Amino acid sequence: MDREQIAPHVEDIKRALDDKVSEDQIAGELENYLNVYRVPLDSAKRSIVRKYGGNPAGLQVGVQKKLAELAPNEPSVSLLARVVSVNPKEIQVNGNAKNILYGILGDDTATVPFTAWEVENLEMEKGDTVRVENAYTKEYRGQVQINFGNRTTISPESPEAVPPFTPGPATVRPAKVADLREGFGGVSMTVRILSLEEREVMVEGNKKMVYSGVMADETGKAQFTAWKDYGLKEGDVLKIEGGYIRTWRGIPQLNFDERAEVNIVDEDFPSMDDLKTSPRIWIEDLIERGGAVDTTVRGILVDVKEGSGLIYRCPECRRVLRKNACRIHGEVEGEADLRIKAVIDDGSGAITAIFGRELTEKFLNKSMDVCIDMAKEAMTHEVVRDDLADMLIAQPIEVQGNVTRDDFGIMMIVNSAEVLKIEVEKEAREMLDDLEGLT
Amino acid sequence: MIREVAWRVFAGEYNDSSYVYTEGGERAPSYVVTPLGARINRLLVVGVITEVENIATEEEPMWRARLEDSTGTFYISAGQYQPEAAQQLAKLEPPVFAAVMGKSRVYSPEEGTIYVSIRPEMVTKVSEDLRDFWVLEACKNLRERITAMKEAQQMDPLTKEGLIALGYKERLADGIVRAKQHYLDLEVDKYSGMLIDALRYLLPEFREQADVKEETVDEEKEDKETDVLKLIESLDKNGKGASWEDILKGAKKAGIKKDELEEIANELLDKGLVYEPVLGRMKKI
Repeated sequence: MDREQIAPHVEDIKRALDDKVSEDQIAGELENYLNVYRVPLDSAKRSIVRKYGGNPAGLQVGVQKKLAELAPNEPSVSLLARVVSVNPKEIQVNGNAKNILYGILGDDTATVPFTAWEVENLEMEKGDTVRVENAYTKEYRGQVQINFGNRTTISPESPEAVPPFTPGPATVRPAKVADLREGFGGVSMTVRILSLEEREVMVEGNKKMVYSGVMADETGKAQFTAWKDYGLKEGDVLKIEGGYIRTWRGIPQLNFDERAEVNIVDEDFPSMDDLKTSPRIWIEDLIERGGAVDTTVRGILVDVKEGSGLIYRCPECRRVLRKNACRIHGEVEGEADLRIKAVIDDGSGAITAIFGRELTEKFLNKSMDVCIDMAKEAMTHEVVRDDLADMLIAQPIEVQGNVTRDDFGIMMIVNSAEVLKIEVEKEAREMLDDLEGLT
Repeated sequence: MIREVAWRVFAGEYNDSSYVYTEGGERAPSYVVTPLGARINRLLVVGVITEVENIATEEEPMWRARLEDSTGTFYISAGQYQPEAAQQLAKLEPPVFAAVMGKSRVYSPEEGTIYVSIRPEMVTKVSEDLRDFWVLEACKNLRERITAMKEAQQMDPLTKEGLIALGYKERLADGIVRAKQHYLDLEVDKYSGMLIDALRYLLPEFREQADVKEETVDEEKEDKETDVLKLIESLDKNGKGASWEDILKGAKKAGIKKDELEEIANELLDKGLVYEPVLGRMKKI
């Protein structure tokens, strides 16, 4: 960013600091944060205000973004958007009724849900074009949400300020399941439906039936949601043109609605049985993809982490207790459970794998009651973890399950697992023949 | 922060590394780049632990161990900051098959010279079957790097993007480009030989042959070994072992080149005639 671009922000910081610091000094600081340390503009501004003893809440000029650029937990954003929908709602706050507004904002890049928590003097109608300053974002179920709080200002703008929303890029993007990534639009793909269920959702205050399930092609499986009744059945081969991708905890999901062209086709496609098998994926590829449905990973188990073995959970919220206390509910009578938090490394990357009670009992070849007795006798729960570590560390293992992503990397909730039998001779001989054939 | 992958790499390739870099910034991870472009921050190795020794005190131990695979020796050291790994090491009774996962470490006594070792996070006894499984994995990965490096040698100009376009992952492509810039006289064939030997190691029909080969040593080499052994003994003036630089100088006078000396030194280490009390020093047993 050059001086001209940062000028309004320098001004903003100066105002937030009650003109106590010179413009030059602020500009120098801001350039340092932005260009040397590469801190995002928003947090750079807040840091500088704090550094000189001011209150960052005094900042007024947010960083203007397109809706598609919004990330979760941004404390101050400015937007130029169109109100796609807006609805009033009454909620209960500490026993009192409170009116809020919720709806959807759109610009030329995306549509994002919003909630306005302070509705006094707030006038917004469907179709309005608005300038929003000082809103903040949160994440709900993997999707960014915009919130208007008491610092947020909303002012009308002329309709031309926001270019019309064009659903998806003009070009169609042909894709296989393994290629799907967050934010893709205009996706064109052919898949077979492996499972299907109907469910009712509320859309803009109306009930609506949606159809979701698991679909697959030869590269893998993914979840999908059809926002319209296409008369789909399990086993159908579908050609979808104009789908779009949303992710939930890193897992890409295909969505399609009346804007998409959907046809049930009769063409050569891998059978249900072939597609139901869970393909082996390199961890490196899973990390890049973000998450995946029903995936198999093969690697060496390299760590049995703390919190594995015999644990106690809060009866209220199922959180794992620490020192007999729940983070939320305080001291409670814990309920025993068994689990393994392991790290599996396949030489391309590493994944955290969580095994539940059933699998843990299977590995230990002991029931939970026996584990509880063991722990009593040893006077520490750690005996169970030690047993698991002795048994599993450095073992080649195959695990299958769904993979999700969070800030700490990717994680599999393991559905089935098997310690691998090792047969190296055949592969070694093949590779050797192959190599010697070349010379 | 994404957890660093544990590379499967043979000692013969790892120990040839002379290039280490850190991505800028505090607490940024550092990487040892092998001649074939493995960009190693963490590695998982399996082989035979042949020696475990506490080189410090009972109260504040510092454990050193040697782990051999079919291509060379990994040097492992664990102190008070690796309590679990140190404890595991201390329990082992060599010789024993073991798996070690740890962070790559370098020791550089002078500019241009680096010795690589492993600071373990996990040490555990394993079966011979698992060792074989690891060797096969290491072979697969080595083969991929050899192929990638050969392709890289044909590319002009060599770019990461070019390698990625050929189907290599960013992780390897980046390492290959770095290695190609650093290791100027790289002989890929050496590693192709290593790969074939390692595969044969897994096959019963080659095992006997390998034993026979060891018995037929050529006499000239044996003489030179004796010379180097004497040299190491004579240079060890304070009982702490002879420094590698001194051995190198002495050997040069006796007409033994650096490559040859390294081979002889490895031979002596393998035969258990000398050991390294600390990295970079050798002592006659």
